Amino acid sequence: MNKMTITTPILSALLLCTVTLFSSLTYAHHVLGRPSYSLNEDSNTPPSMAIETQIGEYFVTYMVFPAFPKPNEPGRVNIYATRIDNGAMLDQAITFTVRDDTFWGESIGGATEPEVIGQQHIDDGVYRQGFLFKSRGSYIIRAYFEKNGEPYELDFPLQVGAASPVGPIGAAVGFIFFLLLMINIVQRKRIARTKIQQGHTA
Amino acid sequence: MIMTHPGLPLYWAYAIGMMMLLLGGLTMALKPAKHSTSRTISLAKLPLLGGLFRFLVKYTWPLLLLKVVFSALFITVITAGLWGTPIVERNLATTLTWNLWWTGIIIAIVFSGSAWCAVCPWDNIASWLVNHSIWRRSNSNSRLQLKLPNSLRSLWPASLLFIGFTWLELGIGIVASPYATAMLALLMLILATTTLALFEDKAFCRYICPVGRTVGAYSQLSPIALRPIDSEICRKCKTLECFHGSDNIAPCPTKIVMGRLQENTYCTSCGNCTQSCPSSNVSWQLRSPSSEAIKEAKPHLDEAFFLLILLSLTLFHGLTMLDYWEGYLSTMAQMINDSGQLIISFSIGLAVTLMLPIFIYCLALGLTQGLLKKHLKELVTTPSFSKLFSGFSFVSLPLAFSYHIAHNLTHFVRESSDWISLLANPLGTGAEPLSMMEKHMRHMEMMVSENTLFVMQGAVIAMGFIIAMLVIRHRGQRLFAAQGIALLPMILFAALVTGFNLWMLVQPMTMRM
Repeated sequence: MNKMTITTPILSALLLCTVTLFSSLTYAHHVLGRPSYSLNEDSNTPPSMAIETQIGEYFVTYMVFPAFPKPNEPGRVNIYATRIDNGAMLDQAITFTVRDDTFWGESIGGATEPEVIGQQHIDDGVYRQGFLFKSRGSYIIRAYFEKNGEPYELDFPLQVGAASPVGPIGAAVGFIFFLLLMINIVQRKRIARTKIQQGHTA
Repeated sequence: MIMTHPGLPLYWAYAIGMMMLLLGGLTMALKPAKHSTSRTISLAKLPLLGGLFRFLVKYTWPLLLLKVVFSALFITVITAGLWGTPIVERNLATTLTWNLWWTGIIIAIVFSGSAWCAVCPWDNIASWLVNHSIWRRSNSNSRLQLKLPNSLRSLWPASLLFIGFTWLELGIGIVASPYATAMLALLMLILATTTLALFEDKAFCRYICPVGRTVGAYSQLSPIALRPIDSEICRKCKTLECFHGSDNIAPCPTKIVMGRLQENTYCTSCGNCTQSCPSSNVSWQLRSPSSEAIKEAKPHLDEAFFLLILLSLTLFHGLTMLDYWEGYLSTMAQMINDSGQLIISFSIGLAVTLMLPIFIYCLALGLTQGLLKKHLKELVTTPSFSKLFSGFSFVSLPLAFSYHIAHNLTHFVRESSDWISLLANPLGTGAEPLSMMEKHMRHMEMMVSENTLFVMQGAVIAMGFIIAMLVIRHRGQRLFAAQGIALLPMILFAALVTGFNLWMLVQPMTMRM
């Protein structure tokens, strides 16, 4: 009986540690009390990617749901903006546009012109803009508004779908490998041809 | 908020202006220069340092070690550019490439000639990949050794790439993008590897690389160069290991015979000649910066154009960092209805700045030709315009080099980065952008005092004009029998360029990052 009383707490502690360890690896089933399967872009507290920034006279919180959207999957941008000095909410129409974020496309103009995805007014203290991308890519969503004659531009990068599996390094290594391989094959053929010609001459 | 650096005090401009007047007059008044050879000092023969220089050039491993270090840095730049923070001033890719290397490489030419090419990671990594050998002469058949097409056997590829670099740097703004900086580095590596794998010798270094050709051109004015220690040994040499290489050492990549080397343009300081010479007769030499300026060699037309393009692009770099530039871009954009990044307006500005100095140079040559016709009369045939064009083109080199150094000195001295933090965290993980206070601190913390910087800038500009006058006097008299008033148009050209350079230096200059 005595032996049982000593080992039981140790075993219980070990069991508790194991359960705690493994339970930390499982994903949360509920987000703030709401079942995760019922969440979508219109939920009040969806899992998302958010940034907080200060621009001009405003504190801005910018949130995108989902953080990594897939093509043909609806998403949403939420913006909250309050004045730095008195905390008053911004009450001004905000225009949302989207453009290609590839460096060359953006700089040289290879990308299409920015596309307006909508203009939103404040709704319960929040500006909500829905979106749906049909193709994979890197995009920049811009929220634009003017206040007291000053333009405000907020850019938020968005990766839709998985990034290209062959990055610049992969392409470079692949190209160099292919080039050296081809040259090696050509050179081997050349040497073989020369040897045959020398054999004929001899 | 755009921050600017204060310009050179006006009294420097007046002082150099006075010197220009005096020197211009002297250049016309002095009698034809006699053929003279400038004095040289072989560093291998110096009492204390000589042993060190002999050791450095004789053995392979010190240079190999440097090659490995620079290649490792290059790979770090690519890694940081592709996967590091987009915050320009916190990413090693942008800071190391544009703040240190791109600025420092020009200043380094003064102290080390074309030594950069010896440790250049583009060529070294390409050589390791293609030759399958770290340093020994490769006997592998991994290269096709094709002849480079005749159309590419000139400096036009390098000239066009240099213009492209400038467009990307100042127009597209790769300076402000770590990712684009890494992409450019990768692109150059692919270009170097492809050229080495396909063509014979080092066609990339000789004809294509804009950095190598710029270093080569400027190194003609460097007070240090690789040369024979005893020219008599070279004269008697029949085996020419410097040209053909030895069992272990590869031949000269740009086909130079050391004993006949007159101009530094194509020497890449690779060290093959120093290691293959059986008499150990090649080493670094100190010489006058004007020693090549007073030579009589005429560049080919493509080389002459390269020198003039170098001058134009150097001026353009300066122009884009002045306050006036923004105003020009805005006006041009309104005229042609350009919007966004104003890339069309920028390109027009680049094209005009490229052509204007060449046009003024041609105008000066036209006047020189007219004056020569009048003065030489029937005694000697008047030189053709193309001969004058290439013969006098060297005059643009000291003017470009002096302004390039003076301009870069401002960047180098005033825009230091926190290198310890950058090397400790090259990808800038978790780093915040520079605060205004940090920017101001960097602005105030200079590498040397402001007055020292002004003295260096003034001296460099004055030196550039002095060498330009030597070029005009020596080459004008020896190549075209031009003297006195016939030299006036070229003197005015050099004075105009130097005056413009001084004007740009006097203006406040935009801080890079």
